[in-house]
Amino acid sequence: MARIIAVLRALATVEGRNARSMGSFTANNFFLVALLLLFLGDPQAFVSLTVIIGVVLFLPLSADPLRRVPKDRLAVWPLSGTERRLLRLLSPWFNPVTWLLAALAIWRSVTLGLWVLVAGFFAIGFVAPSLPFGAGHGLWRRVPHIPGPLDQLLRKNLRQALSTLDFYCGLVLSAGALGARLAGQLFPEALLPMTILVMLAISTQPQSLFGLDSEGGMTRYRLLPVRGWRVLAAKDLAFLLTALLLTSPLRPLAGLAAALMLLALGHSTSVNRRREQVRWRFSEGSGFGAGMFRAAATIAAAASAADLGPLILLPCAAACAGSVWWCGRGLERPPRA
Amino acid sequence: MISCRNLTRRFGALTAVDALTLEVARGTICAFLGPNGAGKSTTVKMLCGLLAPTSGEASVCGISVAAEPLAVRQRIGVLPENLGLFDDLTVEEHLLLTGSIYGLDSTATRARAAQLLRAFSLTDGRHTFAGHCSHGMRKKTAFAMALLPNPEALFLDEPFEAIDPVTSVVMRQVLTSAASRGVTVFLTSHILPAVDRIAGQFAVIRGGKLVWNSSAQQLPRPIEELYFDLAESPQTEELEWLGSSPS
Repeated sequence: MARIIAVLRALATVEGRNARSMGSFTANNFFLVALLLLFLGDPQAFVSLTVIIGVVLFLPLSADPLRRVPKDRLAVWPLSGTERRLLRLLSPWFNPVTWLLAALAIWRSVTLGLWVLVAGFFAIGFVAPSLPFGAGHGLWRRVPHIPGPLDQLLRKNLRQALSTLDFYCGLVLSAGALGARLAGQLFPEALLPMTILVMLAISTQPQSLFGLDSEGGMTRYRLLPVRGWRVLAAKDLAFLLTALLLTSPLRPLAGLAAALMLLALGHSTSVNRRREQVRWRFSEGSGFGAGMFRAAATIAAAASAADLGPLILLPCAAACAGSVWWCGRGLERPPRA
Repeated sequence: MISCRNLTRRFGALTAVDALTLEVARGTICAFLGPNGAGKSTTVKMLCGLLAPTSGEASVCGISVAAEPLAVRQRIGVLPENLGLFDDLTVEEHLLLTGSIYGLDSTATRARAAQLLRAFSLTDGRHTFAGHCSHGMRKKTAFAMALLPNPEALFLDEPFEAIDPVTSVVMRQVLTSAASRGVTVFLTSHILPAVDRIAGQFAVIRGGKLVWNSSAQQLPRPIEELYFDLAESPQTEELEWLGSSPS
């Protein structure tokens, strides 16, 4: 029993750290906007936005806690068959979704159908990370090529953009709006607010463009014989492509204007105050004030694009280009610290 | 080819590299040796432009590292301490990226990449993302990236560590043959027998100070013996509990 307790204690430590990284959404602009709406007296909007965050978080939260012990390590530990079975039975209880499912099962007003649906999603999330999708044989390798010398950098940046939950939050909104539009349920006046919501969902990413590049990646950037502005431009292009993809069923022009403005505001933070991000979590921004400022800029740029048309792209693109050039120089300087 | 004068780097109160003056001639393999924390990696970083020196100057291929870092980067290949790989690119994609960034056309890049993948037994794992590779595979990928653009100088930080014996032989052959054609190699290593066979110049650093610098011919005794005298002697610790009856 002492051995089981030792393993469970280690699992509890690891899962505790994991739970803290799951809380990254609290520093995400989308959540901060939801919080602001709550303070402004719109609890319904707060609930709607946090439900979307909850939906996106559900799958990564459901993952099997025991997968955190490396398979080979678990295999060589001197545990008996009974101890292994006990570990298998107890470890899922480190998962908060297991407790949620248990609570739903006890709660009589939840229908069996709904419980089975939630349990089904939980099962997918529980098992999926352990499935033998060979390294390098997944969907990630199919990210399209973009002609030019920075092709591979761009593909890498696209993969990184698709590895944060921000994108999937935007996707849920975008797909929902598309569905409603196809069903004739979405009024034309709702297109701009939906575009703004989608852009708010991904608005934290430009604040930490290098968050998923490890120390090794940052070293490589400094070794490549290319100007810093080109490295930043490759980052920007990946973000613009995802923004265009997500806003294409809505108001792509407004989405593009907001994306350019977000990039213009995010370069300095990305280069000078790099904040490491965790894969399959929400991007973390740099505080409530910065988040609100970017949210306001997103709304202003998108609304201006809706009012003034394509002309608004010129100042947005100029601001973005100027910022790329200026902050790109920071990537070329060897660190003094 | 590689030259530094009074190169110094301080981190707060610690002087990691102290007034290092060193010359490495074209086509020479220079083994830069020293214990952990002696200042080897810091020196490599300063010579590659990855870290600004506190004082002193360095030049590579006759170009000042501080004044023209981009021109230096275009001429060198580097295997950095942290390998400098992107987790979201596969082994092969790293090589293709290197070719296009250094201005090679697609055909030449693919041909060189295929050759390097074969040479370092990476062909089977070429589609594996760097984030999923073993340390040895990652090191071989970073080494292949350093070679691919046909650089004039190579800076290799611990190239033989975590490498299998066969690949280690291949790497040594590649370096010897490149040096004979004029490529200058500056490498750090803890694996003394490996560098003993290929290096034409030995420099030993301890506590940030250069304590030995000579050609291989000028070594008074085998490098391993000299290293223990100059840098550090092996310390033995008796672990009396090891092998006693389990408790």
